[in-house]
Amino acid sequence: MASLLQRVKSKMAIFAHRKARGMLDGEYGSVFRGRSLDFDDLRAYVPGDEVRDIDWKASARHGSPLVKRYVAVRRQTVLLVTDTGRNMAAESRDGEPKKDIAVMALGVAGYLAQRHGDVVGLVCGDGHGTRTIPAKAGEAHLERILREIDSAITLDSGPSRIEAQLEHVARTVKGRFLLFVVADELAAGPDLEQLLRRLRAQHEILWFTVRDADLAGEDSAMRDAFSVADSAALPGHLAASPAITEAYAKAAGERDAGRQAMFRRTGITEGHVTGSSTVMTELFALLERHRRAG
Amino acid sequence: MELMFWWLIPPALLLAAVALWRAFRPDPQANARRRPVANADRLTALPEYQAALRRHRRWLAVAALAAGTLLVSAVAAAARPAELTTVRPEQRNRDIMLCLDSSGSMSSADSAVVEVFGMLAKEFDGERIGLTIFDSSAMQAFPLTDDYEYVQEQLKAAKAAFDGDPGSAGFLDGTWSGRGSSLIGDGLASCVNAFPDSGGAGATTTSETDGTGGAGAATQRSRSVVLATDNYLSGDPIFTLEQAGALAQERGVRVYALNPGDFDYGPGPGQPGARLRATAEASGGAYYPLDTPDAVADIVRRVQSTEAAAMQGAPRTVVSDLPDVPLTVALLSGLVLAGASWRLRP
Repeated sequence: MASLLQRVKSKMAIFAHRKARGMLDGEYGSVFRGRSLDFDDLRAYVPGDEVRDIDWKASARHGSPLVKRYVAVRRQTVLLVTDTGRNMAAESRDGEPKKDIAVMALGVAGYLAQRHGDVVGLVCGDGHGTRTIPAKAGEAHLERILREIDSAITLDSGPSRIEAQLEHVARTVKGRFLLFVVADELAAGPDLEQLLRRLRAQHEILWFTVRDADLAGEDSAMRDAFSVADSAALPGHLAASPAITEAYAKAAGERDAGRQAMFRRTGITEGHVTGSSTVMTELFALLERHRRAG
Repeated sequence: MELMFWWLIPPALLLAAVALWRAFRPDPQANARRRPVANADRLTALPEYQAALRRHRRWLAVAALAAGTLLVSAVAAAARPAELTTVRPEQRNRDIMLCLDSSGSMSSADSAVVEVFGMLAKEFDGERIGLTIFDSSAMQAFPLTDDYEYVQEQLKAAKAAFDGDPGSAGFLDGTWSGRGSSLIGDGLASCVNAFPDSGGAGATTTSETDGTGGAGAATQRSRSVVLATDNYLSGDPIFTLEQAGALAQERGVRVYALNPGDFDYGPGPGQPGARLRATAEASGGAYYPLDTPDAVADIVRRVQSTEAAAMQGAPRTVVSDLPDVPLTVALLSGLVLAGASWRLRP
């Protein structure tokens, strides 16, 4: 098996051709507010750095923008939280397994953190149980995390329940972490909102939603589907009927709006992705949005 | 109700069981052809989808039921349900010659006889009937025929004549041309001669009208004479009663004698009634003394039933197929199945 991290890195390399390589690092670095005030050194400005971090006097002397670097008070901990239940083995909107998208997104986030010098941990699991990998630095550790996720997600895994993982974090984690959560299209609910509110009070949260496959519409008639939750068949030609397609579109819109409203109310930045080809741009947009929100 | 090919049913049941087992066997590969999707409640929770699924399931149930009914009725039809009945076919190839003494003393009995036969003729189907009246000479009113309309018309005219209706006496013309009166032997001989000659078989079969065809058919027709007379002879007949009886016996004609005036003195064999009885019974027929003309109907019916019993064929087993019900059910369920399949098409 080719290294999962290698795949993530090559993806990032392709992305870097289109945007400045450092931009992602800048965006990532801007995620954390409340930085230390211990000045370290100056470095060249890269797009994505906070404008308020520019040392204008030094820039004036130097002729190009310079950014102040601070010594981090302590190393940040990035906690990757994901669902390894069988929901993630299902198809995404673009038709590839959601698992691949999740691994890609978590790999990019973990690699950015690792380059930033942060430690990366993992909380994953399904409805039957939650597993954790303690936060450490290094690419080998990140590779281990990705493999753990990749091997845990199969159609025979337990039922998905991201709330279990979030509760585990709320129960066991002390200190202020950056939570990077990858999950699928959840339905908003008061219990989940309460839990998110509780976590948001302690942590910085980035939420990355992997879009689920469309269940109704013209295309669904091509191939029957089955629900990974209970293996029940969903006859495609029923879902393809115009009345159901219309009702489904309305219901899906309401569901998305409800989830987005919940994240907005709890102060969590959400991004969503339909396929692994758009992971980089969507993640960049998510970090950008988070910076603006902060 | 029996099934001719009942042995078809066990293999059909076996095949159906195998088919059911194959259809309902849990298929572990079923989901391999489908795409896995998560959060299916996005779709399954929609009331529109639930209604469509219920409709779909209902049509599936209808299709399954129709397929089952089609199978069962097709197997039932293939097993060939049939009604097995044993019938004694009543042969309707009788020849009846009414031989009526038209002397004045007999008119009420004659009237009753023609009336009864007029009614019976309505039910005839294949029988032939003829009428000969005699007094001093015999006159054939109409020969053996199965033209029942004509028969009824003639019998009506005869009845009118016997009842003495005005203007109808011409019907009896030609019965007084001989010498004497009530020449019974001659009358009976004329009646017996009125049957087609069975001796020369070739000549008679051509006159067959009953549609049975075949050269030997004429010999198979039963022959009977209904002879109504009081056997009071006055005159010198060419045939005596006994000679005429012998002729009837020779020709295979049964004589059923009706005697409205059985006034024999004692049991002696020379009495007119006794002689008539002897002649009738010698020919294989019967003798019925008649107290009142109203009894004629009963007697004629008895004669009819004796004749019918005598002429019944051997019992035969008749197999009549009854495929209509299973085939109709199969057709209907096939139509329902076609409709349901059309409705269920993806």
